[in-house]
Amino acid sequence: MLLLDYQNVLIESMLKDRFSGAAPVSIDQVVSDFDGVTFHISTPESKTKIRVSIHVKCFQELVQYGAQAVLEREYGPYIVEPESGYDFSVQVDLENLPADQEGKDDLIRRISLLKRNAMAAPFEQAFDEFAQRQEEASKYTSESAPQGVLEGGEVRAIHYREEEAIYIKASHDRVTVIFSTIFREETDRIFGKVFLQEFVDARRRAIQNAPQVLFRHDPPLELEGIPGINTSGSGEVGYITFVLFPRHLTAQRREEVISHIQTFRDYFHYHIKASKAYIHSRMRRRTADFLQVLRRARPETEEKERKTASGRTFRVQA
Amino acid sequence: MSQSLRPYLQCVRSSLTAALSLSNFASQASERHNVPEIEAQSSPEVLLNPLTVSRNENEKVFIEPSINSVRISIKIKQADEIEHILVHKFTRFLTQRAESFFILRRKPIKGYDISFLITNFHTEEMLKHKLVDFIIQFMEEVDKEISEMKLFLNARARFVAESFLTPFD
Repeated sequence: MLLLDYQNVLIESMLKDRFSGAAPVSIDQVVSDFDGVTFHISTPESKTKIRVSIHVKCFQELVQYGAQAVLEREYGPYIVEPESGYDFSVQVDLENLPADQEGKDDLIRRISLLKRNAMAAPFEQAFDEFAQRQEEASKYTSESAPQGVLEGGEVRAIHYREEEAIYIKASHDRVTVIFSTIFREETDRIFGKVFLQEFVDARRRAIQNAPQVLFRHDPPLELEGIPGINTSGSGEVGYITFVLFPRHLTAQRREEVISHIQTFRDYFHYHIKASKAYIHSRMRRRTADFLQVLRRARPETEEKERKTASGRTFRVQA
Repeated sequence: MSQSLRPYLQCVRSSLTAALSLSNFASQASERHNVPEIEAQSSPEVLLNPLTVSRNENEKVFIEPSINSVRISIKIKQADEIEHILVHKFTRFLTQRAESFFILRRKPIKGYDISFLITNFHTEEMLKHKLVDFIIQFMEEVDKEISEMKLFLNARARFVAESFLTPFD
């Protein structure tokens, strides 16, 4: 339970249940995911046709970075007209499933990764751009390269939450992924700082091949001139930069890297919350200990036998 | 226990024991009232000299005695932001439960993190030396607890960071 799953578990289990050959039932369920993403699973026409729709806040931006092509590649024949109020829909017919178990599992996996795939488009585009630039740059030595080649390309911004965004920038020797994140509370800010310091140090200490992680409160230079950036440098906003090196960008690793880096923000905040919860339970226990100590200060009241004036005693009836 | 902690706690213990000689004392200002004089501050002749015991500039105890009540305020060590936030969280957690702690003050006095108010009614009901024990044990354990929580936070952060970055390796 340390790392978060890439797929949506509820969709996965629901489809698994439906695909196992149980009697078809009508479904109408709204499923929420991280980052304000909502899914709607329904059976609009008949009980055998399951439609899964997704709503992403920044879908327009994603389309601009080629989400449509990525989704078409992943879901090809299953795509249907988007349901109203949602951005993208796929529909599977239970009477027309892949014949073998492997095909079914693959379909379940792909549909439960709907959010991941929608968000993956700008990453894929940036990785492709990196490959292109690398090729171009290899024609020159570092001294003779013309100005435009060594510099990075445009910055792709995905405003996936109210005030937070991911920025992706490709250049000839790396891809930079920058998360902006907001800490609403003083405690979160300080806990976040402790966690991020460890992310920064982890590479130096244990995992040499991990991407370089940088953290700062003012916007990094890569984001200069991008509209909508808060330049006040106040403690609330933080920028976390991941520098992905060519070894992370190879064709066989890119699937995994894209999925993994997408979970960063949620993973990070999840562990801040978990630490707070643990510390809270610790304080509760410690407070109980203190109360115990204080209770010892009270002298024990001995139960003496009480007598009436005439010398008779009270007795508890058995 | 470190070298400087022992004499510090010993000093607090004896000062506190000395201060805790309280007697019932009704208010001189208004009839049929009996208030802790140290809080009311209405008759200067019943207030005694306040006393500060300090280990260093970040850790000190302020004892304010009076004829029928003693106020004890503790400043807990806070070396950095993390400790500061942990101390703040912990003391807030305690003061919210002041009702069950009898002698805990809901609000610390200015410049300190947590305050206790012991009145003559408390010393009549409870054993005096045990109350002193409680304060001393509180001081010992609160430091320990804060540093343990800080260590835990760092250890968890490290573990979390490494597990996130390992799949990239």
